[in-house]
Amino acid sequence: MPEPTANKPEQGIEDEAAAACGCGGSCGSNVPEEAGTSRREFLKVLGVGSAGAATIACGPPDFADKLIPNLVQEEGITPGVSETYATVITDAGPEPLAVHATVRDGRVIKLEINDRLGSGNGLTALAQSTLQDLYDPDRAQNPGRSNGDGTYADIGWDEADTALSSAVQGGGTVILTGAVTGTRARFLSEWAAANGAEHIAWEPFGSEALKTGRGSDVLPHYSLADADQIVCFGADFLGTWLSPTDLAAGFAASRDIDGDGHPHAKLTFVGPRLGLTGSNADEWIEARAGTEGQVAMAVANVVAAARGVTLAEGSNHTPESVSTATGVSAETIRALGEELAAANAGLAIPPGIESQGADAAAAHRAVALLNQALGATGVRVHDQGGPVDGATASFADMQALIARMSSGQVRTLITSGCNPAFTLPASAGFAAALGSVQNIIAISSHMNETAMASSWIFPCSHDLESWGDAELPGGAMALGQPAMAPIFNTMALEDILIAASSQDLGAPDYATYLKNAWLARVGDETGWLDALRRGGASAAPPAEDATPVADDGPGAAAVAVSFSQGAGSGTQLVAYPTVQYYDGRGANRSWQQEMPDPITKSVWTTWVEMHPDMADQLGVRNGHMVRVESGAGAIEAPAFVYEGIRADTVAIPIGQGHTAYGRNAAGRGANPLDLLAANADSASGALAFAGTDVTVTATGARGRLVLTQGSHDDLGREIAEIMNVEDALHEIEEHEVDLLSMVRAAHDADPSSPYRWGMVIDLNSCTGCGACVTACYAENNIPTVGEELVMQRREMSWMRVHSFHERTDDGGFQTVHQPMLCQHCGDAPCEPVCPVYATYHNGEGLNVQVYNRCVGTRYCSNNCPYKVRRFNWFTYEFPYPLNLQLNPDVTVREKGVMDKCSFCVQRINSARLDAKGEGRLVEDGEVQSACSQGCPTNAITFGNLKDPNSAVSRKAKSARGYHVLDELGVRPAITYLEDVTHAHMAATGHGDDAAEGGEEAH
Amino acid sequence: MATAEMDTPRRHLTLADANRDITRPIAKPQGRYWILLLTTMAGIGLGAGAWFYQIAVGLGVAGITHPVMWGVYITTFVFWVGIAHSGTLISAILYLFRSGWRTTINRSAEAMTIFAVMTAGLFPLIHLGRVWYFYYLMPYPSQRQIWPDFRSPLVMDVFAVTTYLTISALFWYVGLIPDLAVLRDKVKGVRYKIYGALSLGWQGTVREWRHYRRLYLYMAGIATPLVLSVHSVVSWDFALSIVPGWHSTIFAPYFVAGAIYSGVAMVMTLMIPLRWAFRLEDYVTEDHFENMSKLLLLTGTIVGFAYATEFFIAWYSADPIEIESFKWRATGAYALPFWAMVFCNVVIPQTLWFRKIRRSVRALFALAIFVNIGMWYERFVIFVTSLAHEYEPGGWGIYTPSWVEIAILIGSFCWFFFWFLLFAKTLPVISIAEVKEHLAHEQHGES
Repeated sequence: MPEPTANKPEQGIEDEAAAACGCGGSCGSNVPEEAGTSRREFLKVLGVGSAGAATIACGPPDFADKLIPNLVQEEGITPGVSETYATVITDAGPEPLAVHATVRDGRVIKLEINDRLGSGNGLTALAQSTLQDLYDPDRAQNPGRSNGDGTYADIGWDEADTALSSAVQGGGTVILTGAVTGTRARFLSEWAAANGAEHIAWEPFGSEALKTGRGSDVLPHYSLADADQIVCFGADFLGTWLSPTDLAAGFAASRDIDGDGHPHAKLTFVGPRLGLTGSNADEWIEARAGTEGQVAMAVANVVAAARGVTLAEGSNHTPESVSTATGVSAETIRALGEELAAANAGLAIPPGIESQGADAAAAHRAVALLNQALGATGVRVHDQGGPVDGATASFADMQALIARMSSGQVRTLITSGCNPAFTLPASAGFAAALGSVQNIIAISSHMNETAMASSWIFPCSHDLESWGDAELPGGAMALGQPAMAPIFNTMALEDILIAASSQDLGAPDYATYLKNAWLARVGDETGWLDALRRGGASAAPPAEDATPVADDGPGAAAVAVSFSQGAGSGTQLVAYPTVQYYDGRGANRSWQQEMPDPITKSVWTTWVEMHPDMADQLGVRNGHMVRVESGAGAIEAPAFVYEGIRADTVAIPIGQGHTAYGRNAAGRGANPLDLLAANADSASGALAFAGTDVTVTATGARGRLVLTQGSHDDLGREIAEIMNVEDALHEIEEHEVDLLSMVRAAHDADPSSPYRWGMVIDLNSCTGCGACVTACYAENNIPTVGEELVMQRREMSWMRVHSFHERTDDGGFQTVHQPMLCQHCGDAPCEPVCPVYATYHNGEGLNVQVYNRCVGTRYCSNNCPYKVRRFNWFTYEFPYPLNLQLNPDVTVREKGVMDKCSFCVQRINSARLDAKGEGRLVEDGEVQSACSQGCPTNAITFGNLKDPNSAVSRKAKSARGYHVLDELGVRPAITYLEDVTHAHMAATGHGDDAAEGGEEAH
Repeated sequence: MATAEMDTPRRHLTLADANRDITRPIAKPQGRYWILLLTTMAGIGLGAGAWFYQIAVGLGVAGITHPVMWGVYITTFVFWVGIAHSGTLISAILYLFRSGWRTTINRSAEAMTIFAVMTAGLFPLIHLGRVWYFYYLMPYPSQRQIWPDFRSPLVMDVFAVTTYLTISALFWYVGLIPDLAVLRDKVKGVRYKIYGALSLGWQGTVREWRHYRRLYLYMAGIATPLVLSVHSVVSWDFALSIVPGWHSTIFAPYFVAGAIYSGVAMVMTLMIPLRWAFRLEDYVTEDHFENMSKLLLLTGTIVGFAYATEFFIAWYSADPIEIESFKWRATGAYALPFWAMVFCNVVIPQTLWFRKIRRSVRALFALAIFVNIGMWYERFVIFVTSLAHEYEPGGWGIYTPSWVEIAILIGSFCWFFFWFLLFAKTLPVISIAEVKEHLAHEQHGES
């Protein structure tokens, strides 16, 4: 080959690889220092695959042009083939999660739960969207020193290390982190000891009240699956409380009606507002915010009396005595107690974050006493198997820290994995106290409020870029390995700390430290490799079902059952965490912002939920701005009128109202924490989220409330179906409907094809948490479009989860959550109207969409009775590095084409090819759609309807099965199974208590 | 139709008068004309600019959205296709029925038809998400061997509209040939060459006339079924779907009646200013307008009846979804357009029972404008209200047109009037040959 022609490409490759890596070599990639020009060097570059590795490690924007050598490949990188790495994510809500990271060409594109270690079925939406945290364009990218005006001067890591070590050596250091478990907890305490620092682990939604109330530092495991009567005293256990993946799976198991002889558990929700968990309840006891514990105590007394059990204390709380404070009639409390007493396997779930008031610990103790009366302690409430509490500091401890900061006792404050400047109520005075701290160092992945208030920012690598581990419920330990090289110039928290440590911690870096710790656990190198492969180590099986907490009562009484909250007269505030934002950490992820709230179906904003009665009194409707004012502050937000809230209560989600944190979060919505006084429960030190009196006034302005659901009433069109539990059991015995024969009609699929792909969605299991929606966004390259375009109904989500309010006989309503996606109709109305065959039926029964052929007449969408097709009104952007998350198996659509759910056809194709190569058919369970795989309650079953033994075929035969809009004869491939509900207690009526409170709203 | 109602100009007209009067407008344009022409061109510029903006940025700049995927564009498409109808009705069907009163209006009506189809034909392109692939809708020999799906009403549309455009244009041109010869004989220079070429060497011999009359008759025969077919096919865009409010067997006759209704109204809208501007009162008389008014009254009443039938059938079907859809149409977010439509299309035309109004050119002009507005709203109401409230209540939504759609709507009117203005200055707006034929008959009858 003549020299000049050989020279040309090599020059190009070298330049691109070097230019692409903006980290100056510190990311560890082996990019050659000089741009070589000889053929020899060119081949060398190709040979070691460093061009590919550099490409992957540093993520150049024009990724597609880079070479990955076919001859000698970088280990673990096969073009077009995904690898799966087991690892762990620690900041996706209240619990760490063992995950499988799907890595394609050196970048993580999807997360699934690692069910070999945990008990959950699928990842929450917040966990799915961790990827957007990793690829967030607004991440902290370089070490920086504050210029004092909100900007940061880039410094190198050397300067950063020097700054940190000199700050730490000055003494008076506090390192404040979020929840930490496992080796990280050990490391931090060792590091703190070695450097004369103090480590405080604090979570805004910690469990200190639960621990104090139960008199044990061990968090319990609620065995919901074994219960037949569950009363929840306010915890959002399906969404944001304690260990939602595990609890949601347990809840679904307790409601399983198709299994042999399992009773379908009734869920009663006690609280001021029906949130995600409340909306799944069969009955609602409308207790005032913060008084759920009083209801629990009175119920416990009724149960104890009925069962002849003596309670350790609290017998002075009768239904009559608590009625005024709780707003619940004595008859209702008595009826609830009697119903529970009669249950075989009753279980009480304690108050959660939003019901955590000044009586928080006492409320938890009341629930523990109730569980004791129910015989649930040690049977359905275990001390083993619960999550591990990685946060040890309470709000009171934080107040103490703030006091020490103010008085100058804290010389250096290092924050990491927490954002106290946002998640503490403004009234706590954290921001002001920072002024008295000499060195404020944020080791943070994001420029959040705390980082912006710091004098130094050290960018922290993401969980998926670093080594780590975490303790899982039940003693299992998840091990996290870096699933990819860091995108930006970041380092792991521990490595930053090791570099700044004045004493040797026994390892040059955290990878070594972690491995040493694991070698002690698993024995040898083989065990270590096995743990890496499996993603951790299972718990040692318990010798016996030892129950440290004896059946005769909850542990030592760390708190007396006495309640301070009396009958209120004003409007009460409920500030609650959501599955979208949690404590605000989800707010810069566009998937989370664009994920409709499970209840309001609102996106990209903060809203104020209020009862129709209050709305009438204020003269406001959906979207009208209201001003909510308390002693501590005031915020304004649009109203959302909702029947599922007491008339004397307003509810505002936590997590918006950021002043920093990134493009999606900053300046959006309002923060209800601004309304909270810095009050703590005196027994546990927990922050009182409940019990704040507020004044609500209409401002007269029209706000922006972006709602994604047209109507919450299905108008009797049999779209969301619900049946009584007795009817459900009766029908299962009496007859079977064979809907399957209908989906098998001649032209649903090619008769010679062995496959007809189909789905069953069990509304009885679906909690409405929205994890499927986010999983679908991640899998199918669905763009987020922003507030303005969602306002115009232009969201691109292939799936939407509707919440329909079905009327009950006593005038109340029952929420049915219903995922709605392309039904892949056997006789699809969208197909014949397309003039260009851009949508057609394939041989396996899929209704496929050919993006290249689509000209965008949009007739298919008009003719779709389910309205599940989404049109690309624009070409949407995936700003770097979010584009690195895109699934290479799925086309990124351009403006002017229609798209819709494909039943994850890329996964089907991949499985079919694998099967064909092995000369067999695709087996049941081999293909799962992203939504089905991601569902925490296994509500979605995907598979081959032509295989009579497949799970989907068996479920589709259920007596609860129905097709939405069956009368149209379009023969959908999705069979919905009716939701199952329980009759209400005879003594209660809906709205009675609410009416009393409503008069006081103003 | 009785001879008494035939075209009877007030002034005693000679054949030379007809030649002179009708070709008089074809002279050097004056200031007023230029202002009008430039205004329409500016409007076209606005619409074209909006369209190019839409192509560059994406269809999202229009207000159409989920679930209302069709809005102003399809409304305006059907509106213009409807306008196009009365041209062929007047020229072909009335010709076959030997309704002499059509003579003075058929030329303009046919021109209107062609320009309306030209306008309508733009909208299926404008509304495409990827207009640069519009040719996928044509059955061209593709290397990938993919044809359009002939089951799709949109493909039927392509054929119906292009057929209609072809036949209407041919029919119009055939009618023009003798008149082009008249013009050829009046002008010199380049215009002589152009008119000469277009008149195909017409000499006016008896043999030519005999062939010409046969051809014209056959063309009328071919065009007549199109009057019914085109708008029936257009109505199937909707009737063949399963959208409640669209899926109805009444749609074909309902749309055809509506099309004739709107077309006649548009003929009036054009002819009234035209006859005033070109001083053609002697040729286009109150008699003509009275006849058109009767047609308006008839079709308007049919349309009103169709509205009532739709509601009745919705109730009679006992289908709750259908019932809700119609209830919402009359009372929901689009109640104002709905009642505007009822007022314009049903209430106002009932005044035509009065002869005084039928013969008042001013009143008719106002009425025709109302009908034009009403018929645009009719399509808007049918398309948008049906899509906004379909089967699945969770997916309901509201549509509001954006400035881009309004700009393109304005542009479409300007485009239409632009062509009509060009036509009025370059071609005889009344068929000279047919007028002369009538005059000859009259004179023959008198002598």
